[in-house]
Amino acid sequence: MPIRHPMETDPQIAVFAGSLAAIFALSGLAWWLKLGAKPRLRDDQVVRTTAGQIEDGFDADLISISRNGDAALAAEATGRIMVIKRHGNQFAGRILGASSQANEVVDGLVVDCGEARFGTVHLSLTDSSTWADRINRLSLRNDA
Amino acid sequence: MPDFSPTQYAVPLFVVAVVAEMIWSRFRKPEAYEPMDTLISLAFGLGSTVAGALFGGAALYVFIEAYEYRLFDLGPEWWTVWWAWPLCFVLDDLKYYWVHRAGHRIRWMWAAHVNHHSSQHYNLSTALRQTWTGSFTFGLLFALPLILLGFHPAMIAIAGGFNLIYQFWIHTEAIDRMPRWFEAVMNTPSHHRVHHATNPRYLDRNYAGVFIVWDKMFGTFEPETSNEEIRYGIVKQLGSFNLLWSVFHEWIGMLTDIWRAPWKHKLSYLLREPGWTHDGSRDTSDTIRKRWLARQRQVVDTTNPVADRNAIADSPEAA
Repeated sequence: MPIRHPMETDPQIAVFAGSLAAIFALSGLAWWLKLGAKPRLRDDQVVRTTAGQIEDGFDADLISISRNGDAALAAEATGRIMVIKRHGNQFAGRILGASSQANEVVDGLVVDCGEARFGTVHLSLTDSSTWADRINRLSLRNDA
Repeated sequence: MPDFSPTQYAVPLFVVAVVAEMIWSRFRKPEAYEPMDTLISLAFGLGSTVAGALFGGAALYVFIEAYEYRLFDLGPEWWTVWWAWPLCFVLDDLKYYWVHRAGHRIRWMWAAHVNHHSSQHYNLSTALRQTWTGSFTFGLLFALPLILLGFHPAMIAIAGGFNLIYQFWIHTEAIDRMPRWFEAVMNTPSHHRVHHATNPRYLDRNYAGVFIVWDKMFGTFEPETSNEEIRYGIVKQLGSFNLLWSVFHEWIGMLTDIWRAPWKHKLSYLLREPGWTHDGSRDTSDTIRKRWLARQRQVVDTTNPVADRNAIADSPEAA
């Protein structure tokens, strides 16, 4: 086995470090080029389309959009409720269920869909108490 | 024996191509990239090489042992048998089709392969978004027929390397369509965009690696349609840029399901398609597509009730 000088780096570690540096350089380049704009949920039609894309066939009947357009709540006539949030420069959402919770805050509502990794969604809404009731009733429905 | 890894030599090319696509994106489609998503995808790529180095030895051991039982012998200098190389490449691509199809239709395999699909973007960095956990599936078994036929594991590894390199360039929205003859035979950006789409029409389609003919042969081909915007990612988008969650989320979900399921259903959560549940409470790609098709028929029925039932009206040619 060849004896390595104490200051000499293992080639595999050097390749790993170089690759890691390249990864940060490429991501930095994407950031520097200003790639990935922040899309907004501008109106009900955009939310309706987005909700239908998140859950095929979701037919939003009632919609509230957060003031800065980065999140929304949508409900079907059947009672299903979806929370939508901006994720990077795309949108992601979840159908709320028995483990979901909504807490009113000063400027709106914080929705917890029940999935820790999806995170809570903060919405600046004027009709937050109506939505909070609606969402918190989902757990009661299952308890009944 | 040749000591050659084509993917190692291709890495500089990958970097240059990603930079070129980013510049294209800057001027033509800035939303094609997202810096955090790029960081995660590239971290997947780096992590997969580390995982391969750590866990790939087990597969290599199985292959070397299996090679001792080969049916045909290409001789001690097997690498000099020129015709074996293209044959191995084509058969390895057929193997890729089936291992990839299993990767989408068997949850155990999907737990590893989902990593490649969990970005909501489709660009060259997505191509490098490779799994860390492939060694913990039974994917290696799909290579055994080739080894038993007499192809040396090193030859298969080299063919597989070129296969991966080919698949890199098709992960882009910068190329619309290739010439018709090429689209007919080869996997292309257009065909592979379909594969990465979550639109019900496209779910579980176009598994090909290099030759799209396998999908046409085995009934899984779907052409890209220009009148429907593609949405990329997975049916239940992650909504998180946490790298470790992105790597392990489906393993955690699958193992939790197995743990909670009644005994008689435990194996099904391992071997049946993603989304399958014993109580039918979740969707599979088949149920999503079925529901979507039913809705499309309903729309056609309500908008054009006569034409839909009229065989002449269905004909593309003028009556």
